[in-house]
Amino acid sequence: MMRDATIAARKKLGHKTVVVLPVHYPRELFTAMDVHTVELWGPPGPPRGPDAGRIQAYACAVVRNALAFLASGGADAADAVLFPHTCDSIQGLATLAPDFGGWGKPALRFLHPKGGDGPAARAFVRAELSLLADRLSELTGRPLALPRLAAAIGLHARIDRLRGDLLSRRAFLNLGDRDLYRLLRRGEFLAPEDHLAELALAARGLGEERVQRGVPLMVTGYVPEPMTLFDSLASAGAFVAADDYAAVGRRVPLSPPADGGDPLDTLAAKAFAMPPCPTRGGDQDVRMEYLETLYRRSGSAGLIVHVQKFCEPELFDVPAIRRRFARIGAPLLYLEGELEASLSGQVVTRLEAFAEMVDARRKAP
Amino acid sequence: MIARRVRYEIVSRAIGPMLVAMERWRRRGRRSGRGGRPFGPPLESTRMLKELTTLHYLAGRFADGAVPVAWVTAGFPVEVLRPLGFHTVYPENHGAICSVKRMVPELSEAVEREGYSRDLCGYARADLGSVATGKTPVGRLPRPDLLCCCTNICQTVLYWYRALAAHFRVPLVIIDAPFVYGEARPHLLAYVADQLRELTETAERVAGRKVDRAALVETTRLAREGSRLWDECLRAACARPSPWTGFDSFFHLAPIVAMRGTPECNAYYRMLRDELNDRVARGVGGIANERVRLLWDNLPIWFNLRGLSTVLAENGFNIVCTTYANAWAESGSMIDPADPEGSAARAYVNVLLNRDLPHKLSAMKRLCREYGATGAIFHSDRSCKPYSIGQIDLMGRLASEGGVKGLLLEADHADPRSWSEAQAYNRLHAFMELFDERMVQG
Repeated sequence: MMRDATIAARKKLGHKTVVVLPVHYPRELFTAMDVHTVELWGPPGPPRGPDAGRIQAYACAVVRNALAFLASGGADAADAVLFPHTCDSIQGLATLAPDFGGWGKPALRFLHPKGGDGPAARAFVRAELSLLADRLSELTGRPLALPRLAAAIGLHARIDRLRGDLLSRRAFLNLGDRDLYRLLRRGEFLAPEDHLAELALAARGLGEERVQRGVPLMVTGYVPEPMTLFDSLASAGAFVAADDYAAVGRRVPLSPPADGGDPLDTLAAKAFAMPPCPTRGGDQDVRMEYLETLYRRSGSAGLIVHVQKFCEPELFDVPAIRRRFARIGAPLLYLEGELEASLSGQVVTRLEAFAEMVDARRKAP
Repeated sequence: MIARRVRYEIVSRAIGPMLVAMERWRRRGRRSGRGGRPFGPPLESTRMLKELTTLHYLAGRFADGAVPVAWVTAGFPVEVLRPLGFHTVYPENHGAICSVKRMVPELSEAVEREGYSRDLCGYARADLGSVATGKTPVGRLPRPDLLCCCTNICQTVLYWYRALAAHFRVPLVIIDAPFVYGEARPHLLAYVADQLRELTETAERVAGRKVDRAALVETTRLAREGSRLWDECLRAACARPSPWTGFDSFFHLAPIVAMRGTPECNAYYRMLRDELNDRVARGVGGIANERVRLLWDNLPIWFNLRGLSTVLAENGFNIVCTTYANAWAESGSMIDPADPEGSAARAYVNVLLNRDLPHKLSAMKRLCREYGATGAIFHSDRSCKPYSIGQIDLMGRLASEGGVKGLLLEADHADPRSWSEAQAYNRLHAFMELFDERMVQG
């Protein structure tokens, strides 16, 4: 089932649809209020209309493509758009499209805190969640029911656990990267119950034996686009052993939510239980430590840093990543993209050469 | 520590002022700064500005180990640091100096070799390059004991200061000032005020002493007054001809950015205000023949201010107001000495860059109306995305709703490698011709 069909199916059930810009947002709240979320990571490829020209070419393709998509009616089936407080560019889009044209329906914002996790930040997240719940109530005409939120938190915890298992035990899963990422990214638009069912089915393929025998690589970056990246890796004899994409691995919490208590508090606590992500701020050393641990634990033999051009949160961490991985002697390939529909031949060649080099290094006595 | 402190005090209070006085004596009789056609007579206050800046950076060379040192973003609520005796360094201000001195390509290339992208903020690249190489046009920057970053001007500073914290291994205080859509909600203001209280604890720990409440109230009062004085300086440009140019105001902005909350800052702006008002009374303009008045949006193009101001002045065009310089005057009135934390939260959250596009448009319209600007130059700044996103729409709306002609001029605030002079001047000339055409037709 693809995006349009999913939206139509949820509409038939009387559910509202909200289009969501990257990256972090409390999906549980939407589930609890029967609001279907569809994420908008661009979309990739050339902009779908002239409105991309309203944003300078030196802003990232995610916001330029998103504005073009929204303004050309691409998301007209949705009832609202949510703009999380991810970066300056999405923040700018969150006023440009609703205030100056491109999106005429309700615009929701979720301002997650940056930096530390002190009492002020925790109280702020809690208040933002309440505010968002109020806005969703206006949209749906129903108040938030806390027992339903508790149930939604449980449902998403099961989804997160399965996603975490599939990623952390990647080498034991008999599924190609392209198929795995397609499955994981279907969570960007499927109803949670449907996504859970698909994940559970895939998780049955997790065995005790290591089945991925290719060159294990770790990937860090914003979003795995174009997905042909995985085809190129596969044809070069490599696979993704560890994931730190903002769109994928960085959205799987490091620890499950605590049971009991006020569900809004539980949801607020989840915001501080996520892997380090530069879009949330936080200590750079902590992130480097996390990346190194992920790399070592997965048995990766090389790192691909795959960032979107002009993406400041990701780009500012690149030198620290280079330093850290040079220190541990890990080969690193830096790729910069602009949400192209497919990889250029040049990039494919670089990927193949990198996989070959890592493999040769791995096999060297 | 004591020896360092003594040296710092001697440099700040005796050697620095003495060197400045000697320089003043050496230059006696010479006019300060730019002057002569196409410009009006130079501002006498510029000399004092240079002296203030020189003293600040000179003292900074001897600050580490003598007094606590904080590196601070331009929009940071610095009031709490002053009573604790911090010497503050503003990397953005330093970045601007690096750009004027044409050092940014060299500094930037040093960090590009480490993997920093050329697409990142020019100030950040200049600063990180200076940290990596030790090169700076101000002699030496003191090592920080504390890094203070407020996201009210952009989130870039957050990523930049995270990198600085990893390098210097010192505490980083982040005041997260969430973007304001419409009006700031109470929980948002409470969040910022709570962070200010958390900041105080960290700053006290680093400084090794407690904030004296009376001193904090006095600093807050000075900051509010400084902001008002700066506003009065800017408003002098409402007169025709304007007694100075917007490009002048970019330079004279330094004290309100880097010395806010100090008596020296306010004394300086009193002097500048009086000089500007005197020029207004005498009909002395910032440019010799002011025909068309313009608004400037976004950061200055620091490395080319001289060239741009000359081209504009030669044709009778004067930048009389800027959204950038005005940002330090706009919300200062919200600062209230009776409620330092709560009012700082309001003032620092409501800065122009932290507010939505309808607010920016309305601020621009107001500036154009009050200052009599009929045209606007939008500096489309390659390495400042938060300021630049939305400019294309702002320009269109300012034209259609305010009758203000606009020009989008692409450059970078600090890095001349992203600047095409011939192309930019061509566009500028074409823009200026539009006004002559209108004047002839009108």
